[in-house]
Amino acid sequence: MRRFGFALMTWLLALAALPALAQPAAQDNLSVELIAETDTPAPGSTVTVAFVAKPDPGWHGYWKNPGDAGLDTRLDWTLPQGVTAGELRYPVPTRLLIAGIMNYVYKGSYTQLTTLNIPAGLAPGTALPISVRADYLVCTDEICVPETENLTMQLTVGDGSITPERRARFDQWRRTFPKPLGSEAKFAVADGMLRVAIPFPANVPLGKDAYFFPQTLDAMTYAEPQKITRDGDTLLIEAKAGITVPDRLEGVLATGDREGFALTAVPGTVSAATSGAGGAAIDWSAALLALGGALLGGLILNIMPCVFPILSLKALSLAKSGTSEAHARAEALAYTTGVVLVVVALGGLMLALRAGGASVGWAFQLTDPRVILFLLLLVLGIALNLAGLFELMTPKFAGRLASGGSGGAFMTGALAAFIATPCTGPFMGVALGAALVLPWYIALLIFLGLGLGLALPFLLLGFVPALRRMLPKPGAWMDMFRKILSIPMFLTAIALAWVLGGLKGVNGMAVGLIVALALAVALWIAGRRQARGTGTGPAWAAAALVTLAGIWAVAAIEKPAAAQASTGAQPFSEARLADLRARNKPVFAYFTADWCVTCKVNEKGAIETDAVRDAFARGGVTVLVGDWTDGDPALGRFIERHNRAGVPLYLWYPAGATEPQVLPQLLTQGMLTGLTGGK
Amino acid sequence: MHRLIPIAAATLAALAIPAAAQQANGQKATDFKLTDATGKTVQLSDFKGKTVVLEWNNPGCPFVQRHYEGNMQKTQAAAKAGGVVWLTINSGAPGKQGHMTGAEAQKWVGEKKATPAHYLLDPKGVVGKGYAAKTTPHMYIIDAAGVLRYQGGIDDKPAARVEEMGAARNHVLAALNEMKAGKPVSVAQSTPYGCSVKYAG
Repeated sequence: MRRFGFALMTWLLALAALPALAQPAAQDNLSVELIAETDTPAPGSTVTVAFVAKPDPGWHGYWKNPGDAGLDTRLDWTLPQGVTAGELRYPVPTRLLIAGIMNYVYKGSYTQLTTLNIPAGLAPGTALPISVRADYLVCTDEICVPETENLTMQLTVGDGSITPERRARFDQWRRTFPKPLGSEAKFAVADGMLRVAIPFPANVPLGKDAYFFPQTLDAMTYAEPQKITRDGDTLLIEAKAGITVPDRLEGVLATGDREGFALTAVPGTVSAATSGAGGAAIDWSAALLALGGALLGGLILNIMPCVFPILSLKALSLAKSGTSEAHARAEALAYTTGVVLVVVALGGLMLALRAGGASVGWAFQLTDPRVILFLLLLVLGIALNLAGLFELMTPKFAGRLASGGSGGAFMTGALAAFIATPCTGPFMGVALGAALVLPWYIALLIFLGLGLGLALPFLLLGFVPALRRMLPKPGAWMDMFRKILSIPMFLTAIALAWVLGGLKGVNGMAVGLIVALALAVALWIAGRRQARGTGTGPAWAAAALVTLAGIWAVAAIEKPAAAQASTGAQPFSEARLADLRARNKPVFAYFTADWCVTCKVNEKGAIETDAVRDAFARGGVTVLVGDWTDGDPALGRFIERHNRAGVPLYLWYPAGATEPQVLPQLLTQGMLTGLTGGK
Repeated sequence: MHRLIPIAAATLAALAIPAAAQQANGQKATDFKLTDATGKTVQLSDFKGKTVVLEWNNPGCPFVQRHYEGNMQKTQAAAKAGGVVWLTINSGAPGKQGHMTGAEAQKWVGEKKATPAHYLLDPKGVVGKGYAAKTTPHMYIIDAAGVLRYQGGIDDKPAARVEEMGAARNHVLAALNEMKAGKPVSVAQSTPYGCSVKYAG
């Protein structure tokens, strides 16, 4: 204590004794480097300039809005005649909360960018001495030091060429900047709360640490926690309001480390988030109706081609075993448990992922191609077994599927439920979507209903002997019936191959089918060896190996660009564009990103409609699509050249025209079909 | 060099201060009781009938240091001339930048030729958090009826440059003048700037 007090006072006295502005080099806690993207900018152009700031370990610099305390960077330029500097732009910041005081900061090195406008008419070789006084505030958790950097650089008017090294460095920095969201947000202040509704597609993942940094001052109380909820394509931010209500609210939605979106919100109507388990306003009659619907839906699933064969064989085996009541009941209960557990587990997992911010739909496991291929091989195996290619003679894990015993019944139920999900997707999607709006325990109740419905026929067979007696007597016909049942199973396999094709393209589907063939061969060999009575071990091993290798192979297949599949559009590249224009072809180029709601609306409502597609086909228009989801700087530069900061951007190059026509950010079908009207 | 003996932390008695609550302009400012640098207990309600200025202070903060190159003293003198009670409050926690014992605070006030009515010690940050003081400096004006009339920065130039202080609008003096003239305070709230208050924890 004594020693610390002494040290502190010494430090304070030392500070007080020094003229405040002439801080010695030892006080330099932040180094700043000034770099231009090109040292030889062309006359009449702009050159990007970077302030590369490196705070010492433990120190941090501040964002444009520093938060509760701190200060932004201030620049005073000394520029040659005619040269002007743009606004200083900041990368995506992070939060630092110290004892209830919120700071919006950069820990570690960060780079701010601005642009210098070089006037036209300067002779090459003209020297452009640039100097700037930059005032930074650098702080640790404990202390703050304002620092002044006097920076200079020497530019010469030239051809504006940029070296690849310099470009790569700048592009790396550009990736740390927020991407313009491209869609306008809305905000409202009510009951002391600031609510911002941001258009953000439901299927774009959002990091756990997502946060809205308000750039407009005094609009938000920074230290209070933010509540972020997602409702379809809208992201809702709720935070305690600040001391003023702004006309426009600007800010950055950070979605990850140095990743985020710049957005502007205008006043509008924003409703409060519906609290998940609010409880009071639960419509029980609607919940019961949904439960009944789910029960009925589950019941219908039994006659789906993917479930019916499994169920029929199971039912027949029960009839065949036809011995004790207790045994039949145990089997029925085990089967029901298997079905319900898998359905509820899948539903619960989906709800958990939803709560965690991920966007998933029912049958979400079917978006993983490895799961699809596994299901495909499993279904094919069952189909080949039903068709009589091989027998499951050993009562091991797989053998239990069709044989007796409660364990086998449980496994059968679990398998039936798991395989049933591809069938539920299209039929139950809407109903399940509605279930997800309800509180989680009601939603789980609906999954429970679905599972019970699926298990109901077998449950009845187990508990009502009269029903069991109605089943036909076992006999030779059963073998034929079994073989016929292989047909719906093969159909299911084909459906799964189609799903695989949707996920991984034609190549992925081909790989899946080859693997399926290899499995069939392995099982065929197993069947032949069974018939001859020789050991089947190696054949089973081969089948397992084929399955594993296939799953690995299908995961490695690259998915083709989605846009290509849907519109016949080609990926955008400047080379491809130049080539088409050299050949006097009309080109429609559009730039989009997964996180851009406006882009998606335009694509669904105009670009991807039949009318537009036909008009473009008639006019011989090539459609090029640039995907800016990852914020590629090269694409970003092309977009910027058309005076847009980001997506959406729609360019129309009529045949033979030198300059493109920049289309509005909201497209209509008529606007696009009209482009080729002259043809 | 002096050998400074830190005095045991002055006992703090804070009354009726909620945990952390922003004070609203036009509302009665929450009463509090703190020990000053000389060990005297000071209560806000003691000054009923007089206008009171609260100034959050941290002598280690560069922003405070800039203002104490003359600007803050001038503001204090002008306020004092108008019969205003000036309370400087230090909410720096022990071990944090700018924390001072009573003796250190008296010495600092003397060196800076500052003229607050009292230099109050709030090492637990109870009053600072009760007023949601965020930065040093952070200023509050309470009128003769005990109603909060201004909260925010000392002026409208959040830069740390001494040469610009002359050009700034001193929000505190402006508000005091308006209150004296019986006019409403035109800028009753502004964003405070400076170092963060070095609270405990």
